[in-house]
Amino acid sequence: MEDVIKVEQLSKSYGKLLAVKNVSLSVGRGMVFGLLGANGAGKSTTIECILGTKKSDSGKVSVLGMKPLAERKKLFEKVGVQFQEANYQDKITVSELCEVTASLYRKAANYLDLLERFGISDKLKSPVTELSGGQRQRLFIILALIPNPKVVFLDELTTGLDAKARRDVWKILSELKAKGLTILLTSHFMDEVEALCDCICILKQGEIIFYGMISEAISASPYDKFEDAYLWYTDEEGQE
Amino acid sequence: MRTFRTMLKTELKLSLRGMDMFIFAICVPLVVLVILDIIYGNKPAFEGAEYSFLEQSFGALATISICAGGVMGLPLVVSDYRNKKILKRFKVTPVSPSIILLVQVVIYTLYAVVSLILLYLAATIFFGYQLQGSLLHFLGGYILVILSMFSIGMMVGGIAPNIKIASVIASVLYFPMLIFSGATLPYEVMPTALQKLADILPLTQGIKLLKAASLGLAVDSVLVPIIVMSALAVICIAVSLKFFKWE
Repeated sequence: MEDVIKVEQLSKSYGKLLAVKNVSLSVGRGMVFGLLGANGAGKSTTIECILGTKKSDSGKVSVLGMKPLAERKKLFEKVGVQFQEANYQDKITVSELCEVTASLYRKAANYLDLLERFGISDKLKSPVTELSGGQRQRLFIILALIPNPKVVFLDELTTGLDAKARRDVWKILSELKAKGLTILLTSHFMDEVEALCDCICILKQGEIIFYGMISEAISASPYDKFEDAYLWYTDEEGQE
Repeated sequence: MRTFRTMLKTELKLSLRGMDMFIFAICVPLVVLVILDIIYGNKPAFEGAEYSFLEQSFGALATISICAGGVMGLPLVVSDYRNKKILKRFKVTPVSPSIILLVQVVIYTLYAVVSLILLYLAATIFFGYQLQGSLLHFLGGYILVILSMFSIGMMVGGIAPNIKIASVIASVLYFPMLIFSGATLPYEVMPTALQKLADILPLTQGIKLLKAASLGLAVDSVLVPIIVMSALAVICIAVSLKFFKWE
């Protein structure tokens, strides 16, 4: 399988703090890859080093066969990104934000359809500041999908969403995955990870402590539930 | 082109919703015009001058909105977008920094042009102002002032690490220029020592050009201000694009 995202020996430190240490991973086309770990484990830093919004100290990154820093304009025609924190202009409305985002790409998706599918089309004229946390989260997933991307990066996918909205988002992402979309996501919800991810990587203090399929993660642990296994992995390292 | 048009339309709407540029770039120059008229009325600029004080000041007044937009508005909005990590989001899209900067430059140019038209209308209709010199020269000087002021703003906005530093740099550039280059406080009433100091400011040179064109006077040397201001523009624009910071 061709690698859509390939990371080799990525390291990044902030001053003396080593945020990411020798992380290697590869994500094939149409795969959903989950990057897991506690807060501060290095998930967001890893994503930002892959995207080029942070400069790694060492290591090689390629996305869709391109180097994010050198081929930025070409690469990001086909890549959607949702950052952990939502960034938007004061006083901008939902439709304005979508319209501007769509205008950045040569082949943008119809954002009205996306708003409809994510259930926030009635908010078209509302200022983004007036949306609820869950609505804003959905809006930023939509923004990541507007480029009609081949690969999306979703940092803290469903944080702030209610149970129903989470299921809706899972369903939409599963459909897109079936059509060949590659997804790299981070999440703190293990039910979500089980429902969506083909392959996971658990980070602890910037290092990979597990890499593989969810079934492998469970069988290599003393537990039979994934959430217990996940906590066992992250805890075990902490007790050293 | 579609990117540019859509961004321009949206950013213009956002800017108008903000109101501050409407006040600083549109209202302030008109207010200063009225104040100058109240103080000086139709008095000649100096004993035996063929033009009034107000006429003499028109060129300077026209630069107030250029300064407000170019040196304050432009760098602050760009560094605010960096601070809010909006530029970071733009970095993971195909848009280039030059489009982001150009959109803001066009917006503040629009403010400046609207302000110039309003000032001209108000000065001619209510205060008996007439452009004595060449309109072409005036507009040429005006464009040169826009270029040099906006390029300073682009550079500050493009490379200031955060909004605090941007706002300090903008203020350090803006207020002395606004006061000492003759934009608000007339150059002619300053003591000679201060005039010498003011001559260093690029805006002073620009206002001299505008004043000469507005009054139909000959300028001793047009070449020096033109070269100085153009060089400044080229350097600042190059620096702002080369060292543009997304974050």
